[in-house]
Amino acid sequence: MAPLLEIKDLHTEIRLRRSTVHAIDGVNLTVEPGECLGIVGESGCGKTMTALSVMRLLPNGGHITGGSIVLDGQDITNLDDEAMQDVRGNLVGMIFQDPMTSLNPTMTIGDQIAESVRLHRGADKQAGLERAVEVLGLVGMPKPAERIGNFPHQLSGGMRQRVMIAMALACEPKLLIADEPTTALDVTIQKQILELLDNLRQRLGMAVILVTHDLGVIAGRADRVAVMYAGRVVETTDTTTLFANPRHPYTQALFEALPDKIVEPAGVAKRLYNIPGQPPDLTSPPQGCKFAARCRYAQDSCRETEPDLTYDVALHEYRCFFPVGEAALDAPAQDADAPTVAAAEAEAEAEATEGAVPVLATAPSVAGDGATPNGTLLKVEHLIKDFPVTAGAILQRRVGSVSAVADVSFEVPRGKTFGMVGESGCGKTTIGRLIVGLEKANAGSITFDGQDLAKLSNRGRRQHSGKIQLMFQDSYASMDPRMRVATILREPLVIQKQGSRRDQEKRIAAIMNEVGLPQAALERYPHEFSGGQRQRLGLARALVLRPSMIVADEPVSALDVSIQAQILNLMLDLQKDNGLTYLFISHDLSVVRYLSDIIGVMYLGKLVEVGPADDVYFGPVHPYTKGLIDTVPVADPLLERAKESQGVMGELPSAVAPPSGCRFRTRCPLAQDICAEQEPPLRPFTAKGHLAACHFPLREPEADAGAPAVAEKTTASGGQ
Amino acid sequence: MIAFFVRRLLQAVVVILLVTMITFALLRAIPGNVAIAILGPTAYRNPATIAQFDATYGFNKPWFDQYFLWLGHLAQGNLGYSWKLNQSVASLLGNRLPKTVILVGISTIIALIVAIPIGVYQAVRRNKAADYTFTALSFLFYAAPTFFVGTVMILVFADELHLFGPEGPQGGLVSDFTDWKDLTLPVVTLALVTFALFSRYMRSSTLDNITEDYVRTARAKGASERRVLIRHVLRNSLIPIATLVGLNIPLIVSGALITESVFNYPGMGYLFFQAAQQQDYPTLLGVLIVVAIATVIGSLVADIAYAVLDPRVRYVSS
Ligand code: SF4
Ligand code: SF4
Repeated sequence: MAPLLEIKDLHTEIRLRRSTVHAIDGVNLTVEPGECLGIVGESGCGKTMTALSVMRLLPNGGHITGGSIVLDGQDITNLDDEAMQDVRGNLVGMIFQDPMTSLNPTMTIGDQIAESVRLHRGADKQAGLERAVEVLGLVGMPKPAERIGNFPHQLSGGMRQRVMIAMALACEPKLLIADEPTTALDVTIQKQILELLDNLRQRLGMAVILVTHDLGVIAGRADRVAVMYAGRVVETTDTTTLFANPRHPYTQALFEALPDKIVEPAGVAKRLYNIPGQPPDLTSPPQGCKFAARCRYAQDSCRETEPDLTYDVALHEYRCFFPVGEAALDAPAQDADAPTVAAAEAEAEAEATEGAVPVLATAPSVAGDGATPNGTLLKVEHLIKDFPVTAGAILQRRVGSVSAVADVSFEVPRGKTFGMVGESGCGKTTIGRLIVGLEKANAGSITFDGQDLAKLSNRGRRQHSGKIQLMFQDSYASMDPRMRVATILREPLVIQKQGSRRDQEKRIAAIMNEVGLPQAALERYPHEFSGGQRQRLGLARALVLRPSMIVADEPVSALDVSIQAQILNLMLDLQKDNGLTYLFISHDLSVVRYLSDIIGVMYLGKLVEVGPADDVYFGPVHPYTKGLIDTVPVADPLLERAKESQGVMGELPSAVAPPSGCRFRTRCPLAQDICAEQEPPLRPFTAKGHLAACHFPLREPEADAGAPAVAEKTTASGGQ
Repeated sequence: MIAFFVRRLLQAVVVILLVTMITFALLRAIPGNVAIAILGPTAYRNPATIAQFDATYGFNKPWFDQYFLWLGHLAQGNLGYSWKLNQSVASLLGNRLPKTVILVGISTIIALIVAIPIGVYQAVRRNKAADYTFTALSFLFYAAPTFFVGTVMILVFADELHLFGPEGPQGGLVSDFTDWKDLTLPVVTLALVTFALFSRYMRSSTLDNITEDYVRTARAKGASERRVLIRHVLRNSLIPIATLVGLNIPLIVSGALITESVFNYPGMGYLFFQAAQQQDYPTLLGVLIVVAIATVIGSLVADIAYAVLDPRVRYVSS
């Protein structure tokens, strides 16, 4: 059978004012009918440009300069505009990353879906809307007939993405291109949308191109994968082979940079593989292999000539002179006993830091009496924060309140990392802001280093604010773009009146070293830095005042895998060298698990489970934690396909009127009547401080679990 | 939605009350004897007139009584009496205001009809020759003083080419339609100035929308460029323009003031111009109040138009 889509030697350029970006440089791809092809790579590698080339929807200045794209037997690079309009939305549909901005805000969703039916099928308004109702039902929109009159802003993010999918599918295209379809969504919604796409693909027999940066998403969904780097496909093969036996050094490096692959227990020093440097500038691509500058196996010959596509067995292609992995296909067995570079590094690391390894042994109780050798640095008790909901433009009447944090207690031992996970809107960011003092709690106490923060004098508070620092997801947005880095870093010292100017400059120079930035960078402005460097700057600024604790709110969420690994490694190094304590807030469970000693799981303002990282990750007690773990995609096709559970169903309820009793009950598969009547207390399940709040936990508490004070207190205050 | 309108209406009433207070304060700030200032120096020789004036306007009472008295007159449409023109201000405005409304209305509509497509066209052909040409033109009209544009119009189209009359229609409202040739130049002058403003806004508003993700979605559905522009971009780009028209009523009226003076067009602006020359305070204040009320109504209309065009505003409370 002829392939549905055959891209041959595609070249796409984007002409800018002064230069030309060679965005796609000789890409070859095929998609069979009904197949799901995954395209992965870091930002700027050309994966989205490939998708947009197929749609011929390139941004301003973009042109296809060579090669052919044969879709269903016709070369679409030669089609005139009108013929191309017949292809778009009809033969091939596309869904985009951000469902909020990708829908027309002033048009009802019914009209938007009906539009393509009317364009391609000549349907009248009525028939178009009928078809809209039909496809909305197909994509799982509840009560579609009532929904077609809605505007996009009246729907949740997940529902909007369903509308996008319905729109792309309305004319039953043979090919669906999904460009990062779930990146803007929460993990639980991500799972639901991916399931839906899979399901629709099978039912409608269409082919899908899934473009994503997330190897986990690819692992569970794609039949074949193309890995892109610097505008080229560097490796293609079926998904199982790629994950088991990557042949291109870039693919291999990507896997090793992923925290999911780390098998050592939490708390043990381990390092992710660092891909040094950044992808090349595509306005003047380097000669020879484009990955050479970052490749650990590069030889002189790599820099001179570009490797051609090599065929391993049929259908496993890669561009490398010195491929890694095994030529034969019995690779998985080999993989297990041949230590990778990362593993070797991790071993060396472990030896070097012998003393720091048995972390959990020195912290027998994470939420107990705090009588650890290191002691408790931060203690949060019965923290409550409500945000008023107001109505009216001038007279802000209070019409209700959002229960953002509802009676949360936990402790963070000195020098350890507490990882806080949960969906967006669960209150994890608010907790971070309360701890650094950006927000005032309605009730409860925060004790830091033995001092109750609420009882501090103004001076004490100023000193305190130096000891706990906040690091943001987007450090760049929090920096004054007109200040040089030196000024930005010195500012906290000046405000806190610490040391002479010379001392301050010395301190800054030392910090730059610690975070791995050159001294010359001090004279530059924030916009001159890349994403990863900006996060280094963010860390540098947080460290200037020598804090004992850093609250890091999604510090790596906006970064590419290779850069994420650099920052996570850096954070671990800094912790080791300075004895830092982290509160690491993230939606990404695998990153949290990699970095944390203790994990706390938040749901709608409640801490539902907390305990030593591996206990929580490998033996969750709360149904929500279990659902979350099943929901997060792992970069392992075998594991991913073996998953049976559906993950967490439904959407997060409103925190204005949270469900009575257990707040998770509206989405819990195990919920009983009592869950609606009585709030489950946080109670211990092991003697090591593994607590969870559930009436019907996934397993019973161990006999010697005991009942630490926290649980009793929670019982007393809970249940309203 | 209804609550939104009621709230907006109440706000408008409050603002108008504030305006009357300020106007009242201005009235009282006129130096010297108010009666003489308002009635004119001849009244000085007639103490009876002054006494009658003081009694009518309650100048012998405390200031807040005076304010409410004055407000009562205002509510009844009594805006005072222009001794200079020997006519009540209300009847003066009754004659002049409709003419200004016609001038402003027609020129604004023409300006919009021309500016919207040109703004969209400029956005589509961004940084091409056509865009630069229209940009230059609109800057020219925007920067050139209205009286200059008006004078050039008269010189070229009336004095040289004899196509249109150099003066606006001098009669009542009806003459605007019978003598449309005389109305043409004032309307065109005012339209050119407002066109410059609208086309700039339309261009940038369209540019904002044309790069939005939802436009790409529309293209991905297979919509033609024409359809993308008309069905998707245009409506979203018009939202800020609707607001702009409402909010720019004072600007347009001030343009009308000068246009009317240049063309001797007997509208409210020309009246204001004459009153200012003759220190005819009651007339000046009357015009001020009307303009203030028009401004408030303009912003009210802008808000309502915004709510009608943008469902995100419309459904915010539901
Ligand atoms: S060709 Fe050379 S530089 Fe390129 S990936 Fe292979 S080993 Fe590395
Ligand atoms: S208490 Fe009930 S509803 Fe809540 S998580 Fe446990 S079983 Fe589910």
